[in-house]
Amino acid sequence: MNYRTLLVGACFVAGAFSGPQAWASSHREAPLIANDPLADNTDLYCFRSPDDPNTITIIANYIPAQLAYGGPNYASFGEGIRYEIHIDNNTNTPGDDITYRFTFNKTNQDPTTFFNIRLGQQNLLTSYTMEKSTDGGQTWATILTNGIVPPPNIGPRSIEDGTVGLGTNYDALITSAILTASTGETVYCGPADDPFFVDLGGIFDLGDAPRQNSQTRDGIARTNIHSICIKIPISMLQKNGQSVSMAANILDPDYVIGVWASSSRKAVRTLNASDGTYTDSGDWIQVSRLGMPLTNEAVNPVGYKDKWNSMTPYQDLSALDVAGNYFYNPELALYMDDDQFGGAVPAFAALRVQRSSLQGFDFGNGHDGLYGLKGSPALNGTALADAAFGNLLLPAAGSPRSVDLWPIFNTGVPNARPYQLATGKNGDPLAAGKPFINNFLPNGGDMLRLNMAVPVTQRDDPAFSSEGLLAAAVAGLTDPAYNTDASLQFIPNMDGFPNGRRLEDDVTRIELQAVGGVVLAAIGLWYDDYNAGNPSQSPVTNQLLNVLNYSTGVEANDTTFKTTFPYVATPWRGTSI
Amino acid sequence: MKTSQILSLAVGALLIANTVSASSHREAPLISSDPLADNTDLYAFRCPDDPNSIILIANYVPMQLAQGGPNYYSFGEDIRYEIHIDNDVSTAGDDIIYRITFHKENQDPSTFFNIRLGLQNGKTTYTLERSMDGGSSFETIKLNGVVPPTNIGARSINSAVGLNTTYTDLSAASVHSTSTGETVFCGPVDDPFYVDLAGVFDLGDLPRQNGGSKDGLACMNVSAIVLKIPISTLQKDGHDVGMAANILDPDFVIGIWASASRQKVRTLNTDGTTGYTGEWVQVSRLGMPLTNEVVNPIGSKDRWNSMTPYEDLASIGTFGNYYYNPELALYMDDDQFGGAVPAFGPLRIQRNSLQAFDFGNGHDGLYGLKGTAAVAGTALDDAIFGTLLLPAAASPRSVDLWPIFNTGVPNMRPYQLATGKNGDPLAAGKPFVNNFLPNGGDMLRLNMAVPVTQRDDPAFSSDGLFAAAVSGLTDPAYNTNAGLQFIPNMDGFPNGRRLEDDVTRIELQAVGGAALAAIGLWYDDYTAGDANPVTPDLLSVLTYSTGVDTNDVPFRTVFPYLAYPHRGTGSCGGLAVDYTQPAVLDPSDGHVGISELMHGAGSGITAFPNPITDRTTLRLNMPEAGHLRIEVHALDGKVVAVPFNGTRAAGTQEFTWNAGELSKGIYLVKATGADGKLIGAMKLEKN
Repeated sequence: MNYRTLLVGACFVAGAFSGPQAWASSHREAPLIANDPLADNTDLYCFRSPDDPNTITIIANYIPAQLAYGGPNYASFGEGIRYEIHIDNNTNTPGDDITYRFTFNKTNQDPTTFFNIRLGQQNLLTSYTMEKSTDGGQTWATILTNGIVPPPNIGPRSIEDGTVGLGTNYDALITSAILTASTGETVYCGPADDPFFVDLGGIFDLGDAPRQNSQTRDGIARTNIHSICIKIPISMLQKNGQSVSMAANILDPDYVIGVWASSSRKAVRTLNASDGTYTDSGDWIQVSRLGMPLTNEAVNPVGYKDKWNSMTPYQDLSALDVAGNYFYNPELALYMDDDQFGGAVPAFAALRVQRSSLQGFDFGNGHDGLYGLKGSPALNGTALADAAFGNLLLPAAGSPRSVDLWPIFNTGVPNARPYQLATGKNGDPLAAGKPFINNFLPNGGDMLRLNMAVPVTQRDDPAFSSEGLLAAAVAGLTDPAYNTDASLQFIPNMDGFPNGRRLEDDVTRIELQAVGGVVLAAIGLWYDDYNAGNPSQSPVTNQLLNVLNYSTGVEANDTTFKTTFPYVATPWRGTSI
Repeated sequence: MKTSQILSLAVGALLIANTVSASSHREAPLISSDPLADNTDLYAFRCPDDPNSIILIANYVPMQLAQGGPNYYSFGEDIRYEIHIDNDVSTAGDDIIYRITFHKENQDPSTFFNIRLGLQNGKTTYTLERSMDGGSSFETIKLNGVVPPTNIGARSINSAVGLNTTYTDLSAASVHSTSTGETVFCGPVDDPFYVDLAGVFDLGDLPRQNGGSKDGLACMNVSAIVLKIPISTLQKDGHDVGMAANILDPDFVIGIWASASRQKVRTLNTDGTTGYTGEWVQVSRLGMPLTNEVVNPIGSKDRWNSMTPYEDLASIGTFGNYYYNPELALYMDDDQFGGAVPAFGPLRIQRNSLQAFDFGNGHDGLYGLKGTAAVAGTALDDAIFGTLLLPAAASPRSVDLWPIFNTGVPNMRPYQLATGKNGDPLAAGKPFVNNFLPNGGDMLRLNMAVPVTQRDDPAFSSDGLFAAAVSGLTDPAYNTNAGLQFIPNMDGFPNGRRLEDDVTRIELQAVGGAALAAIGLWYDDYTAGDANPVTPDLLSVLTYSTGVDTNDVPFRTVFPYLAYPHRGTGSCGGLAVDYTQPAVLDPSDGHVGISELMHGAGSGITAFPNPITDRTTLRLNMPEAGHLRIEVHALDGKVVAVPFNGTRAAGTQEFTWNAGELSKGIYLVKATGADGKLIGAMKLEKN
């Protein structure tokens, strides 16, 4: 192998197929749902459990920006809402294959007080019923009743004090809220530290991340969230009931699942003027959903966000004529291109989309990217050939990011040419290279897709990285342990975003780098300052180094995650922040 | 005057209300899930800089994080925000209503940013209507009022890629005049309320017993509706304040309450839109601070939000006892749960005032006097106000907490300061409040004839009317006779409410019986007839503090008085994180990097001699005529010399170059043509 493809030394190429756009995952991301906090789905995580690798943990978060001291009516899950986690595991069956539904009920144990907790009694005590459907929502089995949601972590008088409060401790409350469903899942529903981290103030001030002239801040630090956490055996999620040991290899396509979460309310709410109550009636209407982080935050423009929240992923593909272009020509990429608004967003100066990759391909807004290759024999045998996936990946001229951002969000990425690392490609980005991902499940649109066969990177492994699959790509291109041949190997962090999503993954940074073209670079479509005609130049150019070194400045959560289920950190205490 | 009436030192409080905490932020279960319609606070005061006018401020949308993008907070569409004014007991219901409805528009739907290139999404405007007939008819008095944008940050507000203005200018441009003479501002501001939320709701840990008191509303923004209205518009007969008979003229009392209403039926459509139809239903209201926060128990909060004040009196069977025997008082009584709330230790209600009156939970207070000659001619006389103030046995706080919230307090016996009473609490004393307007229940009541205490007056106090009471009892300027005088802070809460007033502290002191003490119903450790009623129990109440005594930022001295909203990129916008951005490198110079130069040394360009001591001749072949640049790089990539930068003809070219100043080592020479393409590179060694 020549050194161009093996790439020695240096930090290198980036990557991962991560998605476009940045930021606060999906906290108050659309106009309507911003006004309905109880139903606002903020984040979705999906990863193999590090301490129990025969299982998958799925975490769906709701109710953003909870202040730990937000009394007297501390936030909790809402009544009259269906909170659901949907799983697709089979392209041959339309729609969901497994659905979990949670509905909550609140009770006032002592309606005579305005305090939330007093003398061992709790108001707005929340419990839930968990149901499961394995036939696409046709029938439901109740698999847990009277599940307990821990109370808000108000303070020592309310929680620990045995005379006036509950006389317990918060860890014990969480432990006792970890329950087992009749079908074997482990479940926790309750408050938690919001695991997301982002400089909200900076990034929404016209993209000032990292801050150019002011202090970088984690805008979600010290806020709580309400989490639904489920730990599910892989054999229950795999379409044929197989355990992970039966996987053909670590990228076995039969082990891909797509996950999305939602919340729904009944269509009609009638306020009762006489007594301050209301009545809900009618069909259930989806009001919030989440698959990939930040889709509805910073991919969809404001005019489309409410509609997107009402759709299922299975409706996304039929809405391609509207929504496709938000991925093909993403707004964020305008701020990473000097011919567009690049000059207006100095914080993104390190991120410059390929306008002349290999001196042949322009991925700038409205340009053709790889579309010029369409129909060419060069594409034969690749995922880009119409014979492979139809028009999906090269739908039209003027749609440059149809080959990277769009599939990452909408189909997952197959282990097929050209979606392999440049390692072993000998300079031809369309050639076969080193496999690093396979979460292809083209049954529906925006989902978080995880190949469950990929081994776990332990969180205390020195190689563990919040850069997720991007870190695996860099290692696969530069680390002599992985870059000497194009064979399939486990590379640490192949279990990271966007192959699922771990709590630690810095999705804002990864997605901004992806919008900046780093995924294209990973598969050999290098930055403009690499000269394909110069056989001696390293593709590790300054532009690539800039992208790899880019950071939003907020790279980790403000507290430590737990090493055991439910993994999310204990909620912040009202009196301690 | 006897010293027992003059008082050597202090004495607390007026007739204030009960209870504690975050005024009305997310105070009831249902409204806490509808932030846009959640009415959080109401203020009413005479303008310090324009005392012929009254300022009304109604705040909505609690707990706004300054950094809360991309859909920053604002008023909601499809909601009627209303401020109601009652000025006449002889007319039923409201006399004046201001109604504000908002409209939002996306000026650039193609972006997810809120502000970009001079355009704003979610841009909010409003229509202001007014009714002078109790809501039967409305007149539009301001169209297209502008709500300023969110104070996102310097790029969005100040820079040329944003709005290219300043937040001060935006705020000033949103101060409008109506066709009927009011001044109006609707927009984001710093939340003027302050309270240790975490402490108080951890079972009343206020002030925190183990330290760490913290203003839970610091750094938060809120959406404010601010009206400045001439007193002659508000006074029932159109009188201006110069026509008031005196500073407690009963004809100048107004009652104010605010509300939010939504249409009865909301329909979610399958395309992600929402429709509203049907009658308007009130979903939130506010008059006195904290009523629905900590007077009403959780089971009654939602219902209370649906009622008007005019319905309160009819519901006295349900709600009356929340005042007569308030929950908070249980925590200020050692026979109840007093021992369970150490933070309230300084607050102990009168269980044996004047060795005769027990105001403890379920006891009779002054009820034993009902129908006696002692109360004849006082407000407690059934002949005067019926049974409102002494409705039944075992309703001890019907004489102080209930009227403060539900009728206002008349300037008559026994509601005058102990000054001049000669030891008899039922006697005539020194007037200090008259905001009696018994037309409806929970309202904020203001006597507009009371003069303004300037905010920079040394006597100005956030203890409001409480401070006036203390002065009236103890300050020689006011306590030498029972004549009506203006005492500083008579214009303070609960005679209206100023932005500065520490209502949490005042109300907790009132629940602790301070208002009873002010009128001469002293604490248990005072023996009737003793010289000095300023006992240790009274001093404990007077010196009680919640630990959070002031707003986190100063108010402005001009309309709309509220402080500017916290900026999203400022110190309120999250936890500081240390980060130093690496330098952004220029693109690699086209077609060659240092390692490639090493790799390709010797190609296309030669030097003689090489190695060199000081001088060498570089030779290369120009493929065509044009620009040529020759650079010498050190191994770290830095350009250390440019032997040539100009135009040359095609063919072999030579350049003599003196490298004498370079230090010993390996260098790389690179020649680049007009199109940026590498012509040649080589390694050069200097001895």
